[in-house]
Amino acid sequence: MTDGAAQSSSCTMPPRRSLFCKYFATLFVAAVVPLILGAAIEASFGYRDQRRQISAVLQADARAASDRIEAFTDGIRDQLGWMVQLPWSAGDDAQHKIDALRLLQQVPAIVSVSLLDETGTERVFVSRLLLNRTGRGIDMSTDPAVQGARGNKVWYGPVQYQRDSEPYMRVAVAGSLPAAGVAIAEVNLKLIWDVIAAIRIGETGYAIVVDDSGHLIAHPDISRVLRGRASSGSFGRIKHLVGAASGAAVITGERGNPVVALSVQAADLGWTVIAMQPTSEAFASIRAALWRSSILIAFGVLIALALAYWRAHRMSGPIKQLEEGVERIRTGQFEHRIKIFSGDEFQQLALRFNEMASELAISQQKSARIERLKQFLPSQVAELVEHSHELLEAQRREVAVIFGDLRGFTAFSTRNEPDVIMAVMRDYYAAVGAVTTRHEATLIGFDGDGVMLLVNAPVACEQPATQAVRLAIDLQMTVQSLAGRWCDAGHAIGFGVGVAMGPATVGTVGYNGRLDYTAMGAVVNLASRLCNLAKDAQILADPTIAGKVRDSVPLASLGQRNIKGYDQALEVFAVAPAMLPLKPPGSAQRGREKEPQDH
Amino acid sequence: MKRREFILLIGGGLVWPAIARAQGGAKLHRIFWVSTQSEPDPFLDGFREGMRALGYVEGRTVTLETHYAPENPQALRKIVSELPRGDVDLVVSSGPATRVMTAITDVPVLFALSGDPVALGVVKSLAHPGTNFTGSTFLSLELAGKRVELLKDLYPKLRKLAVLSNTDHPGEPLEWRATLESCRNLGIDAAYVPFCGAREIENGLMAAGKVNADALLVFPDAVTLVHRARIAELAIAHRLPSMFGWSEYCDAGGLLSYGANQRTTYFRLATYADRILRGEDPSDLPVMRPEKFELAVNLKTARLLGIDLDMSSILFRASKVIS
Repeated sequence: MTDGAAQSSSCTMPPRRSLFCKYFATLFVAAVVPLILGAAIEASFGYRDQRRQISAVLQADARAASDRIEAFTDGIRDQLGWMVQLPWSAGDDAQHKIDALRLLQQVPAIVSVSLLDETGTERVFVSRLLLNRTGRGIDMSTDPAVQGARGNKVWYGPVQYQRDSEPYMRVAVAGSLPAAGVAIAEVNLKLIWDVIAAIRIGETGYAIVVDDSGHLIAHPDISRVLRGRASSGSFGRIKHLVGAASGAAVITGERGNPVVALSVQAADLGWTVIAMQPTSEAFASIRAALWRSSILIAFGVLIALALAYWRAHRMSGPIKQLEEGVERIRTGQFEHRIKIFSGDEFQQLALRFNEMASELAISQQKSARIERLKQFLPSQVAELVEHSHELLEAQRREVAVIFGDLRGFTAFSTRNEPDVIMAVMRDYYAAVGAVTTRHEATLIGFDGDGVMLLVNAPVACEQPATQAVRLAIDLQMTVQSLAGRWCDAGHAIGFGVGVAMGPATVGTVGYNGRLDYTAMGAVVNLASRLCNLAKDAQILADPTIAGKVRDSVPLASLGQRNIKGYDQALEVFAVAPAMLPLKPPGSAQRGREKEPQDH
Repeated sequence: MKRREFILLIGGGLVWPAIARAQGGAKLHRIFWVSTQSEPDPFLDGFREGMRALGYVEGRTVTLETHYAPENPQALRKIVSELPRGDVDLVVSSGPATRVMTAITDVPVLFALSGDPVALGVVKSLAHPGTNFTGSTFLSLELAGKRVELLKDLYPKLRKLAVLSNTDHPGEPLEWRATLESCRNLGIDAAYVPFCGAREIENGLMAAGKVNADALLVFPDAVTLVHRARIAELAIAHRLPSMFGWSEYCDAGGLLSYGANQRTTYFRLATYADRILRGEDPSDLPVMRPEKFELAVNLKTARLLGIDLDMSSILFRASKVIS
């Protein structure tokens, strides 16, 4: 019982992962995963397309800025070219000065111009701030500007920050004739600001210009340029990062915010134009799309949650109900009915369950009745009741068969009224039944005045032969005492018994609703023949019985007898008369009246 | 796809504040205008114009409280010490007032100086002021010599130059020295006509008329700017070709002027005021310098003086011709 209790308690424990959870998770995942996957793929493709597009826009803007910057420097170069067209001759310094002053007027970015003759000596210097100079001045032939211009016609100097703030650059142009000398202009690069400030990429995108070493030359916010070299660190980093990328790169911008940036080299100058746009703006559309997707996903998740919960609940609810029902049935509440109206297989199952419960209830009632009944039944019967199935199965076994038969019954029945016959029969059957029950034998059936009993089948006993003989004796004595009463009433009726033992096939035969337990085999015929042979008050037994009961019941051999159906004569034994009550008078007469009967 | 970038894109999002020019909230900004000049103040007008252009509405988003202490820096010092701490967002000082403002350390101060702010000690460097001061410098000193040269270009016969100067102006001695040196280089005698503040302007003008010079050079400064019409009149009356610092003088009848555009300068100062009001640190805002200089010529005055401009290079060099 402890085992069963443990088992039952383990069964009632809630399962670690309920069906509800499993269904819920599965349904939820099935709905949400494709949604998220779809959105992610959409977003990733959108991002790629957007990035390509931004790359193209930045490329175009950076290229435009670069072109304009080149136009700016080319303008300066060309204007300086005019200064060095004619060779120097004596006394034309004044004319050169006028030209230089015109140049300042033409190009606002030029702060000062130096015109050098072929020896590299300054002949004219005009400036917006400093006093102008004419005539032979300082020798600048070793100036890198002069050397650069002589070697390359055009020379662009490095960017320098005046007072570490304003960006300046020197540009030198040499004439095609060496005699024309060299013109050197000092250019205030703050004026490139106009070029750069005009560039707007989207709403907040912009372009900057840095030199080769990452020094800021132009920025829409001019104050950044005026910070001089100090700010070059961050712009050098940006230039490096953007330069390293093949197309547009997402980098951390100067303000620490992520930007999409792309750089273009300005030829000649070694400057880099970097066009950038904050990612917040550049990817605003994709971000909006992501938001929309997220909202959709959130919405989908909620719906999936609700649906999955509802579905899983619809699934697990009936199962729980069924489980509860089974539990109740287990505890014997057969009146419990499950109410499921889902219109699906669950309803069907509940229906079947309810049917099962009602049948179980009936069966339980029956079994209770049998239980109650068993208290009043002999143990064999009780066993038969409990194990009737196996016992009643057809099988071959050693059985003792007892046949009893009234003598002189035909004459009695022809002579008497039917109600008298019925009264006699009733007494006779009751007596046979009582004896059968007393000896725990099996009454196979009555056949008119004959009766057939079986020992050791279907319920087995320890000594079937002895029991059969004792039964036969008891039967003979009981019926003889009845016969005595019948005799007093004027009816001459006797009783003979035959007992045989041997193997027979026992089992139930019959058809639906009408089943009989019977035995088949030679031993049945033999017992019947012996019964026929027996005289009134005589019990005849076959050699098998005789052999088995020799020690307990005295038997007398009647010698060899020919028995119908047997080729050889068989030794027949009779139970010693000592074992039988005294024969009432007229018994011999009764015996003679017995008609031979075939079984 | 580069995952990090993708995350960066999703997580990122800072707007460029300087470009997104949303109006600076509903806050009423309080700006102190401190000057040793007296009203009318052309600089204040220029600054106001700049602020208006940036979308500030006086009385609604900004209040300009003017504090003038004409020719009395001591009185200005008092104003500064009484400056209500905490609720003034910005102090703008022009001219000599800046010297007094050095006492202020907790309120951003914008200046417009003729001289060098580094030499004055209010900023550490032009690129990185590093203090609560920033603003613009007019490069007057460098231009002082240039003005003499231009005058000489226009009027080659120039031998004696009267220099009218307000000694109350900071950096005035340096400006005078630069002018004197330039005169020496160009072979000109300089007649120094100093006066101190608006009260003495009449004396200065009288003195300038008496030096018997060939031309008149007037240092740009608020006092001479206010009295520009009278000065121009005096110059014409004495048949003196005149040279000034800003084109406003020419508008009033001055012959020549060379210098940075005032409007541009004050507009930029207003830009800085806007940036500081938006929370930028003045110590990070580089001191601005003009990169464009106007040469203005008044043809009418030239005619009155009988000067033939065609003979000089001035006309094609002029960026502003008033006729």
